[in-house]
Amino acid sequence: MKTTISRRDWLRRTSLAGAVTAGTAKAGEEAPAVPARPGWQGSQRVRKIATNCEMCFWRCGVLAEVRDGQVAKLEGNPDHPLTAGRLCARGNAGTQLLYDSDRLKRPMLRTGARGEGKFRDVSWDQALDFLSARMQDLKGHYGAESLAFFPHGVASSFFATLMKAFGTPNSAEPAFSQCRGPREVGYALTFGSGLGSPEPVDLEESKLIVLIGSHIGENVFTSQVTAFGTALERGAKLIVVDPRFSVAAAKADWWLPIRPGTDIALLLAWMNVLLEEGSYDKEYLASYASGLPELTAHVREFTPEWAEAITELPAASIRETARVMAAAKPAVALHPGRHATWYGDDTQRARAMAIVTALLGSWGRRGGIFLPTDLHTGSMPLPPFPKPSRERADGAGTRYPLASEEQGLTMGLVEATLTGKPYPIKGWIVYGQNVLESIPRREQTLKAIAALDLMVVVDVMPVEQIQYADLVLPEATYLERYDPPAVVASAKRPFVAVRQPVIEPLYDSRPGWWIAKQLAARLGLEAYFPWQSPDEHLAALVRPLEVNLRELRTRGAVAFAGRPYIDERTPDDGPLFGTASGKIELYSPALKQLGFDPLPRYMPVADPPPGYFRLIYGRAAVHSFARSENNAWLDALMPENQVWINSDVARDLRLADGERAVLENQDGVCSLPIAVRVTPGIRRDCVYMVHGFGQESRGMRRAYRRGASDTQLMTRVGIDPVMGGTGMRVNFVRVRRGPERG
Amino acid sequence: MARYAMVIDLQKCVGCQACTVACNSEWDVPAGYARTHVRQAGPVGKLPSLLASPYIAQCNHCDHPTCVAACPTGATFQTASGIVKVNRDLCIGCGFCVDACPYDARFLNPAIHKVDKCDFCADRLEKGLPPACVTTCTAHAKYFGDLEDAHGDVFRLVYERGGRRNETADVHIGPNVYYLGRKANLDLALATFAPRLPRLVTPGRLWRGLVKPLVLAAIGATFLGQAVAFFYQLRSGEKQFDD
Repeated sequence: MKTTISRRDWLRRTSLAGAVTAGTAKAGEEAPAVPARPGWQGSQRVRKIATNCEMCFWRCGVLAEVRDGQVAKLEGNPDHPLTAGRLCARGNAGTQLLYDSDRLKRPMLRTGARGEGKFRDVSWDQALDFLSARMQDLKGHYGAESLAFFPHGVASSFFATLMKAFGTPNSAEPAFSQCRGPREVGYALTFGSGLGSPEPVDLEESKLIVLIGSHIGENVFTSQVTAFGTALERGAKLIVVDPRFSVAAAKADWWLPIRPGTDIALLLAWMNVLLEEGSYDKEYLASYASGLPELTAHVREFTPEWAEAITELPAASIRETARVMAAAKPAVALHPGRHATWYGDDTQRARAMAIVTALLGSWGRRGGIFLPTDLHTGSMPLPPFPKPSRERADGAGTRYPLASEEQGLTMGLVEATLTGKPYPIKGWIVYGQNVLESIPRREQTLKAIAALDLMVVVDVMPVEQIQYADLVLPEATYLERYDPPAVVASAKRPFVAVRQPVIEPLYDSRPGWWIAKQLAARLGLEAYFPWQSPDEHLAALVRPLEVNLRELRTRGAVAFAGRPYIDERTPDDGPLFGTASGKIELYSPALKQLGFDPLPRYMPVADPPPGYFRLIYGRAAVHSFARSENNAWLDALMPENQVWINSDVARDLRLADGERAVLENQDGVCSLPIAVRVTPGIRRDCVYMVHGFGQESRGMRRAYRRGASDTQLMTRVGIDPVMGGTGMRVNFVRVRRGPERG
Repeated sequence: MARYAMVIDLQKCVGCQACTVACNSEWDVPAGYARTHVRQAGPVGKLPSLLASPYIAQCNHCDHPTCVAACPTGATFQTASGIVKVNRDLCIGCGFCVDACPYDARFLNPAIHKVDKCDFCADRLEKGLPPACVTTCTAHAKYFGDLEDAHGDVFRLVYERGGRRNETADVHIGPNVYYLGRKANLDLALATFAPRLPRLVTPGRLWRGLVKPLVLAAIGATFLGQAVAFFYQLRSGEKQFDD
């Protein structure tokens, strides 16, 4: 059966040409009635409005079906250039965030003690008057830099502008120092640019996919999974390096159950084989790379036999997989990963991955890592931002020279708050970020919050930290608000995609742009928000792209021609490699100059003490971080996490599958009871759990104390000296039989 | 006439459950119930030689559906294109079909007290749309179409790539969901989720659900037969019999 749908059909079905404005979706010409189906309520007239998803940060294309002002259903937008009509479980369940009765509903001011969770409802005027007065107080007493900002999500960009205008440089998000930071820095040191998001990995064209700890399938980004499936169907081979038998490992041609923390040793041995056997891409390296002699000398001693003793992988397997890579080059998609803060040596591991990618000639080549095509967007002219009178308090750019000053170091701000050094941090505005679940060393975060003069939380859900807030502001969900459009360069066809409200905000919630603009007016900073409506903001932003605004809003996205491979690049695209030398730097003079190893070196990580296991963690396909656990549909699919324990170990500990246990870490911190999953699919030296559970917010009635939190057990971190990232796989737990028997 | 079928490539499927949620959303299936389930087979073996596979369970729209025969009211029926459907107006929620399905593809929907299951999104098909799960599948692992269309994906995947039915020596009723995958993984998935024998109804449920209506029907038929005989005799006149 043919089920292709022409654009005309689609437009007719959705029939909203020109009906939608970015600020407010208005009813336009309505579609003809469709036959009733069981369970459909109310009107038989339907509008479909295009927007993009924010159940995670991939921002897939969504069509919202709106009936009588209610969002009846979400489905994929077939016109979206990246996701082409597909949505994951979370994306399909977005209505259950919108209609979650536990949502924050109106602004609240604290009445009880911090942590007591007692509030009274206030109006937006009262809330914003309070906040602007307190911000001015802080500025007067301690300087604008005493206010720290913890953002997450695209709506926070308006607040980021406000913070810069207010005069504080102290903004930090976990996306850098608890996630992608080491990867971005490691690849930028080697190729002159990081990877960005979505990662430009050319899975669908690859002959060989190499995943190091990446658990595609459990970590679901729609278009990445589509490309992964396409590659496997086409016959691409798959190497998976993971101490756990992940979903991807079960599909792999070679699964390498590596000893945790030894990835750099494996990567060095792969380099050794490629260089010793002369099977690297000689022509590519001769044209584009520097430092080959230094690298060759460096890895000579790192043979597969040397690595076998460290990684506990057979030397023969290491040699075989290196040869498989050489045979498939350059179409080898060595995935750079995403969450990369593991052990504190993470920038060097990212460097090692980048070097293997370079040896295979995969960067900028079909089937490897493709190149972004920049889109030049516009903006309305803003006054210059005031220059902060002091450096950032978290050490980004100073103590950690290669840390991003745009994204900052969350734990650095926590420490500065606690110590008052280099200067006092007295206020936090936390925006869409669950600081108690995203930043390790939770006790320290709680102490820092207790020491604050002002704690403000802007969120959709009553996450745990609202109990410690002076002021809580309810943000509208992604389905009720305008946000800056997604301008995506790292796609083979770069595109711009809109986020527009499909219904008016429920309760007394407000979109982020409105909150920021209102606050700016009270602070005398309205010049930084010169647009009167979201429409005007969007029009200014996309003006240089010369897109038809009506088409953009109707179809949801507009794509442009891309030049993803080296042989398609034009001088307009700028230099191929943005390093100081203009070449791929296998040997990094930049690292050398800063006093770090210019070539990656394996440094042993501490082993678990007897009776303890390394705690590793990851994602589940149906949840996003600690954000989706209260979603009714997703909760029904996965109400709690489990701790994976090797079958032999479980037998020794007399633990049964499904039984509840408590995890106690090396510092005596205990988890909530968690169900044991006995499986042969994990090494004996580690245990695994999905992140995001064990939440302590009573306001989230489904998620409250379901499963256990990995973050609670992270009392130690391995700090990456290059960029300040916090490696979190350095904690060990022992497994105690729990109080409840499951 | 079309013969609708589905092919699921388990080597591509990552078990992400997008299909489950899209289906629940499309058909207002209550949370905790599903017309299409994602299951996990394995892992089995000893590290590092392990096997595991996802598996997707749903109505197979069988060639010889045991559920149709089990339905006492005729609510469950099969269309000419092979789709097994439930007419909710006729369904009495007796659950015989739930027991009769060797694939456990049916359930009693507590919101409507009727039986519920996949119907290949028949309403969407009428509008030219593929089933919701096929549209949303992140891995593009699900294919839907006409098994008799030699140019279609489903035909190619079943007859050229060797899509396999989930059948056993005991249960072979012609399921029309076909599976692809690596042989070892697919063997594990199909063995783990092999069809069971259709369950017979218990005497109590048989009485409530089937015998009672049948007895009533029989009583009704007796009266009807009497009436037919009466009117027949009325029209043709009473025959005289000689002693």
